[in-house]
Amino acid sequence: MARNVPTSVLDDDLLRLRLLLVVFLAGLTLLGGYLWRIQVAHSDRYEVDLAKQSIRRIRIPGVRGGMVDRHGLILADNRPSHGVALYLEELRRPGPWRNTIDHVEQVMASLTGIIGRPPEIKREDIWIHIRRRLPLPLLAWRDLDEAALARFVELGGSIPGVELYTQAVRVYPHDALACHAIGYVGRADPPEDEEERFHFYLPEMAGRAGLERTMDHWLRGEAGGRLMRVDVSGYRRHDLGLRPPRRGHDLMLALDADIQRMAEQALDSRPGSVVVLDPKNGDVLALASSPGYDLNRFVPSISSANWRALMEDPDTPLLSRAVAGTYPPGSTFKMITGLAGLINGRSRIEEVHNCPGYFQLGNVTFRCWNRNGHGPVNLQQAIEVSCNVYFFHIGLQTGIDGIYHMASALGLGGRSGIELDGEQPGLLPNAAWKRQVHRDGWRDGDTCNVSIGQGALLVTPLQMAMMTAALANGGTVYQPRLVIGMRPEGSEVFSSEAPVVLNRLAWDRRHIEVTRLGMKDVVMSSRGTARTARIPDVVVAGKTGTAEFGRKEDRKRHAWMVAFAPYDDPKVAIAVLVDEGKSGGETAAPVMRQLLFGIFHPGAADGGAG
Amino acid sequence: MNEPKSIALFGRVDWLFVLATFGLTLIGILFIYSASYRNDDEWMTALTRRQVLWALVGGFCFMVAILTDYRKLAANAWWIYGICLVLLGLVLVIGVKIYGAYRWLNLFGIQVQPSEFAKLGTLLLLARYLSLPSRDMSEFKTFYVTLLIMAAPFILVLRQPDLGTALMLLPVTLALLFVGGVPLRYLAILAGIGLLLTPLGWFALDGYQKERILVFFDPGRDPLGAGWNKIQSEIAVGSGGLTGKGFLMGTQNILGFLPRTVAPTDFIFSVIAEERGFVGAAVVLGLYAVMLISGIRAGIRARDKLGRLLAAGVTTMLFCHLFVNIAMTVGLAPITGLPLPLISYGGSFMVCTMAGLGLVQSVYVRRLER
Repeated sequence: MARNVPTSVLDDDLLRLRLLLVVFLAGLTLLGGYLWRIQVAHSDRYEVDLAKQSIRRIRIPGVRGGMVDRHGLILADNRPSHGVALYLEELRRPGPWRNTIDHVEQVMASLTGIIGRPPEIKREDIWIHIRRRLPLPLLAWRDLDEAALARFVELGGSIPGVELYTQAVRVYPHDALACHAIGYVGRADPPEDEEERFHFYLPEMAGRAGLERTMDHWLRGEAGGRLMRVDVSGYRRHDLGLRPPRRGHDLMLALDADIQRMAEQALDSRPGSVVVLDPKNGDVLALASSPGYDLNRFVPSISSANWRALMEDPDTPLLSRAVAGTYPPGSTFKMITGLAGLINGRSRIEEVHNCPGYFQLGNVTFRCWNRNGHGPVNLQQAIEVSCNVYFFHIGLQTGIDGIYHMASALGLGGRSGIELDGEQPGLLPNAAWKRQVHRDGWRDGDTCNVSIGQGALLVTPLQMAMMTAALANGGTVYQPRLVIGMRPEGSEVFSSEAPVVLNRLAWDRRHIEVTRLGMKDVVMSSRGTARTARIPDVVVAGKTGTAEFGRKEDRKRHAWMVAFAPYDDPKVAIAVLVDEGKSGGETAAPVMRQLLFGIFHPGAADGGAG
Repeated sequence: MNEPKSIALFGRVDWLFVLATFGLTLIGILFIYSASYRNDDEWMTALTRRQVLWALVGGFCFMVAILTDYRKLAANAWWIYGICLVLLGLVLVIGVKIYGAYRWLNLFGIQVQPSEFAKLGTLLLLARYLSLPSRDMSEFKTFYVTLLIMAAPFILVLRQPDLGTALMLLPVTLALLFVGGVPLRYLAILAGIGLLLTPLGWFALDGYQKERILVFFDPGRDPLGAGWNKIQSEIAVGSGGLTGKGFLMGTQNILGFLPRTVAPTDFIFSVIAEERGFVGAAVVLGLYAVMLISGIRAGIRARDKLGRLLAAGVTTMLFCHLFVNIAMTVGLAPITGLPLPLISYGGSFMVCTMAGLGLVQSVYVRRLER
């Protein structure tokens, strides 16, 4: 019927209704097509967006390796530190964040009674935690002592959202022992160069000084990671995966804790330094700088007051004098001058010079320390009595270049490469140096000064110990080393490496022998300058030195003594330096004696010098 | 005409339409559960329980509407329309303020949204007005009276303010005029005026409304504020993929990136699309298509013009709601706050939708047999 009347009202209505349906279906098709586009065709794009916003990566620092001395005594390790952590997810209160924070503060107030001291965090810390690290536990108390720990486990352990949180912190069982060698750790900055980016970093230790710093790469281990999915307000929902962190290498140090302790005790907190080397391989048996500091004060982090006190102490406890302190060597340098003359053929072993108590160079008079003069002396005697005049002659005969090369070959004027930061090269002057720095020519007077260890010459105690070790072993200069073994995670034994020889000097046996005999006489003869360093039953060879520094009127002196013993088969080569001492014989020799007695008569009562 | 018995009337309903209605309502309840799920402790969330209740109330209204003769109802259209206007007026005076707008009336402890009922009341009156045999569709008076009938609730709803619901009146009126047979030139004039007024309308918008529109064109504008819902909804839909992440497994939903306040209501489709993927979304679209086809068929087979107009109006309203809502969740349209019929959480809207759909079936069961 509709066919006949195309303009009929009814037919028109129906057409329009159908048109309406067409519009509807077109709309649905559009929606369906668009859904296909974003859900199927381009779904991957949204999946990336999705993953980005709900997954958090947390970096778990590696477990730091420990350090032991050469006998396996623990010098640095980790200990568990028990704290109380709050999980804000479980403490969440509805409404604005303020409510949650109020609740957290209430919980902390009730815990204060149980633990016995107020929390270490304030309201602002909670705010910061909420903004930056919400899925992570918030540490409210650190380092509970045993009583507080017991009370917390008994009374506070069942409070929801509050849990015991155990962290590894560094511990140094011997406090200040070898503090400059071991060094300390501090809170690390998140590493910036890592391939993986993390959203959160758990607190991590990084070496800040000493071996903790230089060996950080080996000690710190390998970081692990945890993936967790968070909800929109940042709360942890569940862990998606964990890659456990790995422990770093344990280090075995060359240090002998007993010798180290004796060295520090011998210094008795006076500013100074003692270095003990094994002349057979360069092992650093002791590396003492005084005054020191308690390493545990840096755990978990040093207070600013403590830090300021260390920084402002006039005795500079943070300075590792053994490697970073530079001093004129004084008479301890004379063996170098003597050897330089012999080896360069500019002097002979039996050569004798007369010492009238002074030495005239043009119109300048150089004095011997003995105003009355030593009379005629040969090399062995000149070392024994430390005659300046003899070495002025030898020095001038040899020339600065010969002395320079000998000193340089023994390790002076350069860094030894010991595993510590801040090592100073000292200063070994020669003509080129003077021309460059003072724009002046080298004069014989300069050579005279260097010949007796004065002038511009500066050395570190470590360098003098290296020199002594080379004299003790007949001319091999080893690189001094603090680390003699490393033990990777899971391994029982420490791997070790052969000692490194820096220089092997082809010395004529007679040349070295006369020098050593002179050094033996220094201690063992009735005229020697270090008679006070004698100990029973052991033949000791050494040399004292009294180095002037500062303005002449101030008469400031560093007291030196170097020594090796036993004379026939040296086991130790030692350098002792006391800042601002009276003289090598009076100040450094007793220190040397105390140390030698301790090393060779361990446990025996010291009967005093004699 | 003799009114058939109730049983006989129910026998004549379009079962496809009823099944689609039932299916969508069920899907709604399931995903409201997902969108309000927090943990396994409660087997049914409070929101889900209430939605089930509203679905039952809605189903009852659906059946009552089928049994009610639409012609008798339309005879009282002016009364119904008047009551709706009074309620809309009351909202502005004693309404409950939620999210900065007065949209709810507290009736005997139940909060109702008169604007939803007003949409239906206006539709009924317009259908009645345009379907009177004496009405000359080509007369201009018919045209502007129609507009006036629409304008009264439009302005009242706009004052709440509820732009989305107010704007819904426009396509419904337009569809009724179109199907009713108004000369196309009037509709063209209407469209022209609308276009001219659009720039003016910009200045009438509230700040947050402007922001929503600006965000639509540039979601990065305020990604943590106004742009958040849009971005998160798109990620939810997009990451759903072909088959979805599984029920209660939609991370956008469960982890709350899709805000809890809107997930069960305006953004319920995102939850479905995330957890059931394109397949689930297509099923929902398919069920709506069944309803729209069936609704238009009810209009085509209606025994009178009133029936045709009612069917056209209700299906248009259904379509506009679902289109704007889904377009919003997938990022095709600005955020308007229009719920998804039968699926979104909401009592008044569920009851009104069911009543409207029942009206369509009221028309269908009284169809002419050809």
